This record gives sequence, C-alpha cells and structure tokens, in this order.
Amino acid sequence: MSKLMSWVDARFPLSKFIKEDLTDYPTPRNLSYWWNFGFLAGFVLVLQIISGIFLAMHYKADASLAFDSVEHIMREVNYGWLIRYVHSTGASAFFAVIFIHMARTLYYGSYRAPRELMWWTGQGLLLLLMATAFMGYLLPWGQMSYWGAQVITNLFRATPFIGDEVVVWLRGGFSIGDATLTRFFALHYLFPFLIVAVVLIHLVALHSVKSSNPSGINLAEKDNIPFHPYFTAKDFYGLGVFLIIFCYFVFFMPQFFIEADNNIPANPLKTPTHIVPEWYFLPFYAILRSIPDLLGGVIAMGLSVMIFAAMPFLDRSSIPGGARYRPFYRVLFYVFVIDVIVLGYVGAKPPTGVLVVVGQVSTFIYFGLFALLPFLSIKEDKWLRKRGLPAEVDVLIKSESEEIEKKAKKNT
Amino acid sequence: MMAMNNCARFIILTLSAMWLNVFFVSAGFATTSNFPLENIKFTQDQASLQRGAKIYYDVCRLCHSLKYIKYKVLQEIGFTKEQVDLLRGDIPISASLSKTSSDKMLNSQYGQVPPDLSLMAKARKHGPQYIYTLLTTYSEKEGVYENAVFPGIKMPDALNVANAIDESLKQEIKSKAKDVTEFLLWSSDPRAAVRKTIGTYVVIYFLILSVMLYFIMKRVWSRLDKEK
Ligand code: HEC
Repeated sequence: MSKLMSWVDARFPLSKFIKEDLTDYPTPRNLSYWWNFGFLAGFVLVLQIISGIFLAMHYKADASLAFDSVEHIMREVNYGWLIRYVHSTGASAFFAVIFIHMARTLYYGSYRAPRELMWWTGQGLLLLLMATAFMGYLLPWGQMSYWGAQVITNLFRATPFIGDEVVVWLRGGFSIGDATLTRFFALHYLFPFLIVAVVLIHLVALHSVKSSNPSGINLAEKDNIPFHPYFTAKDFYGLGVFLIIFCYFVFFMPQFFIEADNNIPANPLKTPTHIVPEWYFLPFYAILRSIPDLLGGVIAMGLSVMIFAAMPFLDRSSIPGGARYRPFYRVLFYVFVIDVIVLGYVGAKPPTGVLVVVGQVSTFIYFGLFALLPFLSIKEDKWLRKRGLPAEVDVLIKSESEEIEKKAKKNT
Repeated sequence: MMAMNNCARFIILTLSAMWLNVFFVSAGFATTSNFPLENIKFTQDQASLQRGAKIYYDVCRLCHSLKYIKYKVLQEIGFTKEQVDLLRGDIPISASLSKTSSDKMLNSQYGQVPPDLSLMAKARKHGPQYIYTLLTTYSEKEGVYENAVFPGIKMPDALNVANAIDESLKQEIKSKAKDVTEFLLWSSDPRAAVRKTIGTYVVIYFLILSVMLYFIMKRVWSRLDKEK
C-alpha cells in the first residue's frame, strides 16, 4: 500500500493533497454550527446529481410522454417514488441550505477581504442553481411547470428591440412546447456539472484564504485545528441532523413542496387561476411584480439577485466579526431577513389591495438597505472606534496578532 | 449545552423558513368557492378501499377513467385474483381502468371530457377533503342542481345526495363518499403505505445515528480541552 502511495506521489501530489487539504487542513476552532452549511450544500449537490441521473434513466423528455413517465417512475419503477421524492425535496433543501449559507456569510461579514472571490464564485453558484432549478421544474410537465415557464420566459420580452425574438429563441417556438422541454432537459442535465466545476473553484479559493470565523479575526496557529477529526466529526453530526429533517419530508410530506396544480398535466389552453413560482423564487418574484413596468421589474429582479456581489464594496467597515460586533449592521441584517420573508409572502399571494403596497415598500426597503450600507458602515466604524471596541474583541485582536507576529519573527 | 442550543436554533430556523414559505404558497390557493371543506380523516383500511373501488367501478367509471391504475394493481388492496378477473371480464389484466362512456358522448352531454381521477386526490388543495365535500354537497332547488364547493359544476349528483331526505340514507351516502375518496386517495399514491413504513425506520435510524455522531463529536473535541 505504501509502495503504491509513493509510486503515485512521485507522479501526483496525492499524499500532499490529502494531508494539506483534507486531514491537516487548518480550520479555526471557534467555528459555530452555522459553518456546517457549506458541507451540507456539497452533500445535497451530490444527492441531486445521483438521484437525477437515476431519474433520467426512466424519464422521457417528450411533451406527450413526460407527465406519464413521471407517474411511471412513481408507480412502476422499483423505489422510483423514493428517487423522485428525494430529487424534488432535494431541490428545496438545496435552496434552504444555500440561503442559510449566504445568511451566515452576510451576518459574519465573511464576504470581506480577502474572501471576495469566494463570495463572487458563490454568487455564480446561486445563479447556476436558480437556472438549474427553474429548468428542472418544467420537466414533470404539470400545469404549474408549464405556466411557470411560460411566465418566466415571457419576461425576456422586456429585452429592448429584440424582445419577441429572444423569447421565441429561448422557447424554441412561440410558446412553451416540446422544443422547450427537450432543451430544458438537456441543460438541466448539463448545469449541475457546471456547478461542480464552480464549486471546485470555490473550494480552491477557500483553501487559499481559509475559513472565516465568528470573531472575524485571523486566528493564530494555536487556534487553528486540523480539519480531521474535529470538523469531519462536526460535519457528519450536522449531516445526521439534516438527514432527519430531510427524510421526514421525503417520506412523510413529499407533496409539501409540490403544487397541487402540478399534478394536473400541462394544458396550454387552460391557465391556472393563480400562477406561483417555487417558494425559493418568491421574494425575487415579489420584487418583479412590485415594479409596474415590465422592463423595470425585470431589471429590479435581476438586480435583487445580483446585488449581493456588491457587498464587498458596499460594506466599508473595518470592524471584524460582521454583525457580531457591529450593532447597526446587525439591525440591518435582521431587517433584511424579515423583509425577505415579507417579500416571500407577498410573492405567494395574488397582487391585490394592500399587498401591492406592502410589496412595493418591501422592495424599497430591500434595495434601501444595500444603499444605506456604505454610509452606515463608515459611520458605525468611526463611532465604534471612538467608543472603543468591546473589551473581549480588543483582547482577542491583540493576543492573536501578537501570536502571529511572534511566529513570523521565528520564521525569519 | 451551548452547542445543543445553537443546533436547536438552526433546526428551528430551517424548518420555519421552509414552512413559512410553503405556507404562503398554499395559502395562495383557494377552492373555486370559499365553502369550508369537511375535515375528515382517511384511514386507508383495506375494507374501505375495496368498497371504494367497487363504488368507483359501479358509479364513477361511467364518466371517469383511472388511467394510472391497472386491473392487476387492484390486488394490492386485497382483491383476490378471482375477484379482479370477475371485474375485468375479457379486458387484459395489465390494462388500465378506463371509462365506459365514449369521449364523444360525454363531450356532447357535459361540454367536456370528465377528468381522469388517478391523481385527483393530489391535484386539488386538501384533495381528499375536497373530493369528499364535493360529492356530499349537492342540492336541488326546483329541478336545478347546485354544488356548494364547485358552483356550476357540470358533473351530475353521482351519489344522489340532493334528494336523500331520509337521515339514514344520507349517512349511507356519506360513507359511500368517504369510501370512494379513500380509494381515490390510494390511487393517487399507491406507494404511500410502504413509503411511510420505510420512512419510520429511516427517520429512527438517522435519529440514533445523529445521537451517536453527537457523542463521537463531543469525544473527539474533548481532546482539545485536555491539551490545555
Ligand atoms: C355522469 C358522468 C359522471 C359521473 C358518473 C361522475 N362524474 Fe365526476 N365529473 C363529471 C364531469 C362532467 C366533471 C367535470 C365537472 C366540471 O369541470 O364542471 C366531473 C368532475 C369530477 C371531479 C373534479 C372536480 C373539479 O374540481 O374539477 C371529481 C373529483 C369527480 N368528478 C369525482 C367523481 C366521483 C368520485 C364520481 C363517482 C362517485 C364521479 N365523479 C362520477 C362527470 C361525472
């Protein structure tokens, strides 16, 4: 065995990789459970790819066969119901995990230097995930699949000058049809592998800058511990808890995330009374609808997703630890979370009465918070410096930087 | 204990986020009317499923197909091979249950082909309660039939509730409606029973596994305290 290893090592840095990036990879010892969600996202990605490949073995991407083939999977394929419900529940789980992962990054300010590239590759992953989920949702060819895709592709009509052409080009016809289904299937199969590629880049970046931690301060060597066994143990414990919740949904409430209307085969002649996207798109959908003008709405929606990328520029504070040591930013964070939930509620309801106003106000708050951040973070920074950081932070910064300096001196 | 607290916090957060959002979505759906659905429980016991299958066969099959249910699958709810053979006559055993009226006739009579019922219990919000209430809330006024849940429905009063004045007859019709709904609920997801059985084991398995993983983690991490 060791002979084989040294043969490989002479040709490929396998042992080095295992040691430096898996077992001995230095990880801050103070990571909380909020740092479990990156690993969980990776797990769900693998789960989706595996269950998806098995589904593709039985699924038929043909407008006249798709719906029946899903029922065939549900009823006749051995454990087909399990594969399908894992996949359909997995989509929701993926977004839940990713949203928490993003919320953690926002709360602790992990997007700040030197982790901007992690944040931006993460932003790319979010876009890919959304595209993949959107296309996957068409495949069961139910009423909501069909009309959801119809509504969303129709948004591209807002493209200046060539709007109509773009829509026809996307759909492969004047409305959603067989051509749309086959291309969405092809891309839905492709995109997860692009996601894998971007995840690898995300991880290479991570292993260069290392994990952030709740204190937001670069920790000295003594406070970093090897990934294995400490974080393998912690990640697997988190995975166990995740699987309890996940399996509960898969086995006991599998229809929870599936619209009743999607159990009706797609019917181009009959519009459902109320078209709603999947829950994970609702806040963005609400922003779209809050702007009376189509082009304006599309721009606002696009911006609402992409604006996260601007965080490293918008946040001017030099106080470590994100919301933990920054009272104003913490308020901003919680207002944002509540605002997103309100937007989700508005997005799920028909746009009538007060809800229109609530949606518009929440949209305003959504962007307002981002706009406020540069000023607020500078003000807060000054105020905190004048007032002095909390004693524990000061002590921590001092001791850690002393430690790091000592080490640096020793090395020279 | 701090660790447990954090953990509990994130479970609650994840769950509530999912619940909230999906709650919003489902709250967006209303039945055609706002008539309150009868909140009855369905037990999926075999006797009831078999009675329901017979009612479907004798009444609903005139107009509604059940295309995802094949004759042979009826054995899964306890019918013997002989009973199934008796039902199907010379129709092949692997054929689906199809309606007995022609599309053309139904179209001319009701202006549409009545929907397939295989997935009906999943295709409406609160599907089983919806079907049950739909079937039991027909009324008649001067020869005009009306339905409380679905005003203007084209489907006739299949179980004859509107004219059942006698209380015991009414009860009998209600229990028929429940049975046929049980059967349609089963048809919408014949794997539900096995899914729940397996699910119980799976969830218990992961519960025990997580407890074990928790103690393994504690043990591993305690090495750090010893170092100090
Ligand atoms: C005489 C023909 C006929 C018979 C018998 C019949 N139905 Fe129907 N059914 C219809 C028609 C027509 C519709 C379509 C109603 C509409 O959309 O207006 C319908 C619709 C339905 C619906 C869907 C309602 C909706 O929300 O769209 C259900 C559920 C249903 N039937 C259940 C049953 C059950 C259960 C039985 C047997 C007890 C049955 N039907 C017997 C003709 C029939």
